[in-house]
Amino acid sequence: MKYGKVYFDDVKVGDELPPLVKGPIQQIQLTRYAGASGDFNPIHQDDEFARAAGMSGVFAHGMLSMGFVAQALTDWAGAGTVRKLAVRFAALVRLKDVVTCRGRVLAKSSKDDVNLIELEVWAETQKAQKVVSGRATVALPTRA
Amino acid sequence: MAEINTALIGKEYPPYAVTVERVKIKEFARAIGDLNPLYLDDRVGAASEWGDVIAPPTFAVTFRDETADTGALLRDLGTDISRILHGEQEFELFRPLQPGETYLCRARIVDIYQKTGRSGPMAFVIRETAIADRANEIVATMRHVTIIRL
Repeated sequence: MKYGKVYFDDVKVGDELPPLVKGPIQQIQLTRYAGASGDFNPIHQDDEFARAAGMSGVFAHGMLSMGFVAQALTDWAGAGTVRKLAVRFAALVRLKDVVTCRGRVLAKSSKDDVNLIELEVWAETQKAQKVVSGRATVALPTRA
Repeated sequence: MAEINTALIGKEYPPYAVTVERVKIKEFARAIGDLNPLYLDDRVGAASEWGDVIAPPTFAVTFRDETADTGALLRDLGTDISRILHGEQEFELFRPLQPGETYLCRARIVDIYQKTGRSGPMAFVIRETAIADRANEIVATMRHVTIIRL
């Protein structure tokens, strides 16, 4: 269930996040993300500029894909639970790509009443190309 | 450009203050297509443990100042925006960022190194930004790896 509450007690190592499918990526979303984020690099907006820069055309902001991965986490664990998110941008996301975000629980730990879940997270395109890979830590409530 | 100026390692950019606007949080969440009510609905925010809406985990990337942003970095390095790629990004959040709060951001270059990849020589520039509240308590940190195609 979207925005359902997840309790620390119920999470097991190896559990997988519900996949989050985003896209197909359209130019208008990159323009909107530029305005919202303040990253107006023309390489995400102007095909001619991107080609002159040696790329094969416009591509998405890495930060947009990272935003998708963050959404996959918070759709599952709840907004405000993310303590850490660290990613590498492994490949470019291009127009019309469909990006699927995934994650898997690696470890659980509790210390001083803070209950943390560590996950590996990644995103891949419809061609099964990994575009983002990284780690995340979320803090979850307990049932007790 | 064949060499990168590693003398910039350790450079601290001037601190800058950012006051988070409610409408910017919503614009940012909608641009990602993340319609979580805790970002978008003031009533849901008010009823939450945070007492107001909160920002999505990657929102701090919107914190910019022309004296300390990627443009300033490019001027320092003597390169231009068509040469850069975003290599890695990290956020550590001690509590969510919220509207109406003013944060002080301190950015510095922690490392610069060169590598040769499939597409030729590249420089990696690693910046860290500490984000503190009015009480000077760190609420978040960002680590940003910029790749420059040399």
